Amino acid sequence: MNSSDKKYRVNLFRPQSVGMKGEVVAILTVLAVWGIAPFGFQLWLALSAGAAGKSPLESITFFNLPFHYWFTAQMLPLCFIIICVLFNLFVDRLTLRQSGKKEGYHD
Amino acid sequence: MIDSGQKIIPMLIVCGVLLLFVVAGLLYKTREGSEYGLAGRYTGRIGGGAAIASNWMSAASFLGIAGIIYLYGYSALAYVIGWTGGYVLLLVLLAGQLRRFGKYTAPDFIGERYESPTARFLSAGISIIITIIYSMAQFKGIGMIFAWLLAIEYREGVLIGAAVLMGYIILSGVMGVAKSQKLQYFVLIVTFILPLMLLAYKLGYFWILPQFGYGQGMTDLSREFGINIASPFSQFGLFQWTALCFTLMFGTVGLPHVLSRFYTVSNVRDARWSVAWGLFFIALIYWSAPAYAVFGRLIEARSGIFLSPEAAHQMADIVVLRTALLGGLPLWIVGMLAAGAVSAAFFTVAGLLMTGASSISYDIYYRIINPQASESQRMTIAKGATLLLAFVVMLGALNPPGLIAEIAAVAFALAGNTIFPAFLLGIWWSETNKSGVISGMLVGLFITFSQPLLGSFIPFVNILFPLTASALCGAPIVITVMIVVSLFTKPPSEKIRRFLAEEVHGEIR
Repeated sequence: MNSSDKKYRVNLFRPQSVGMKGEVVAILTVLAVWGIAPFGFQLWLALSAGAAGKSPLESITFFNLPFHYWFTAQMLPLCFIIICVLFNLFVDRLTLRQSGKKEGYHD
Repeated sequence: MIDSGQKIIPMLIVCGVLLLFVVAGLLYKTREGSEYGLAGRYTGRIGGGAAIASNWMSAASFLGIAGIIYLYGYSALAYVIGWTGGYVLLLVLLAGQLRRFGKYTAPDFIGERYESPTARFLSAGISIIITIIYSMAQFKGIGMIFAWLLAIEYREGVLIGAAVLMGYIILSGVMGVAKSQKLQYFVLIVTFILPLMLLAYKLGYFWILPQFGYGQGMTDLSREFGINIASPFSQFGLFQWTALCFTLMFGTVGLPHVLSRFYTVSNVRDARWSVAWGLFFIALIYWSAPAYAVFGRLIEARSGIFLSPEAAHQMADIVVLRTALLGGLPLWIVGMLAAGAVSAAFFTVAGLLMTGASSISYDIYYRIINPQASESQRMTIAKGATLLLAFVVMLGALNPPGLIAEIAAVAFALAGNTIFPAFLLGIWWSETNKSGVISGMLVGLFITFSQPLLGSFIPFVNILFPLTASALCGAPIVITVMIVVSLFTKPPSEKIRRFLAEEVHGEIR
């Protein structure tokens, strides 16, 4: 591989520019929450089931709903919206800071 | 079906709502003249979000989710999570970058990024298969509603529904009706939530926010009749649940008509924010849909109706309408619900058929078969392709292979196994090349249909790659194939890598 081949490389796990580094940290954080929240909760629910096959999470009532049901049906979609908003706020700030260093604001 | 006799009032309301969209579309008629099929005007972040949501809302959201929750209870929430979580992935990994890349359709992106007509052809073919499967799910919804409206058999409903749909598409095309997606979203959300509030009110639950009010209904259902809808993993185990959920998320990112949305937004920031708004608007429907399923069960049980599993499976996809009827809502309200469902299905199919037809006329015919084709020749091909696709879809819908949500899930699995990895690596790893992407997409295509092909010989395949949930294990395999093949073959040209590094990911300093 010659030097020109190495020049323009894009790799999610090896960000080159400062802006991209910040963005990648945000992306990986959001993805961690995105993956862990739905899967982790189901895992917890499955593992916490007692001998009768019923998890204590099912017995708690929250907003009129069994807690596990409320969390999956209502909290997880809300959680997705929240991480999207936080990601957008973060990237907005990042672009603003970058554009302060460069001459014009372009997006 | 539910009851006999034609429904004059609901029929008038369905026609009225469709007519309303034609009139509103004519008033909006200042549309831009882009390639056949891609429409939409810039409308700001919230408007952009409503456009994303109305583009997304289909019979699967409007009828399918409630239907599958009615049957499978908690297990079916995998659909709710899968169909919302995908937008997170789309936002953080692709929305802004795709906007900067500036290609209009999935085959266009893949063809340009990988500089390969073969990759373009393959992805166009896959987009068309996705279109057909996804539209089939919509046609099932259309067929069921028309069958109910006209008091006829399901298959006759599919035929008549298809005729009305084609009439609608042709009429809109001839008159140059623009899509007013904000209005579409508004109509969908009102026709879905208003009847639900009335139902909650009639049943004596908290009707202002029936999304919380139905909790009491769940408790009553379990206390009075011992039916526990919230019982976890009654239908699928933990692995199956997770596989389905993540397949739907990957598929969301790979659906060609979802990806095409980002080019009508004026800049990257608005593209990102409109995704967040879009997700909120979509979640509004998904927070509400389970309430229809719960109320449906409760009203049935209280009226002493206990359906056999087969009968329940047969009518599950129309449970939204059935609940409204059994709950004693006035016919015009039920008509509104039917109108919402029909318009959700119509707009989705119209959009999908046009995307599919433009894949055939532009990506396959113009770019590969006949590069000298004139504009009018391409239009003729596109129109013919629309009719042909609609016909194929209609034939498939005559014998629907499953529930609406399940049929749609197969399309998501295919998208998640092929288009999603191609986009993900195409944007985030500059070394991915055409050999990598072509072999990866072929493997993905094979994995998606491995259960019907190999399932009876190799039982292991049934567990790892179930037809509706193959992408959890499939997508990582496809990504690995793409990476390995790319490493051992010629890297992409400097031109495209430079474009990715400088234009798509900002400047390297």
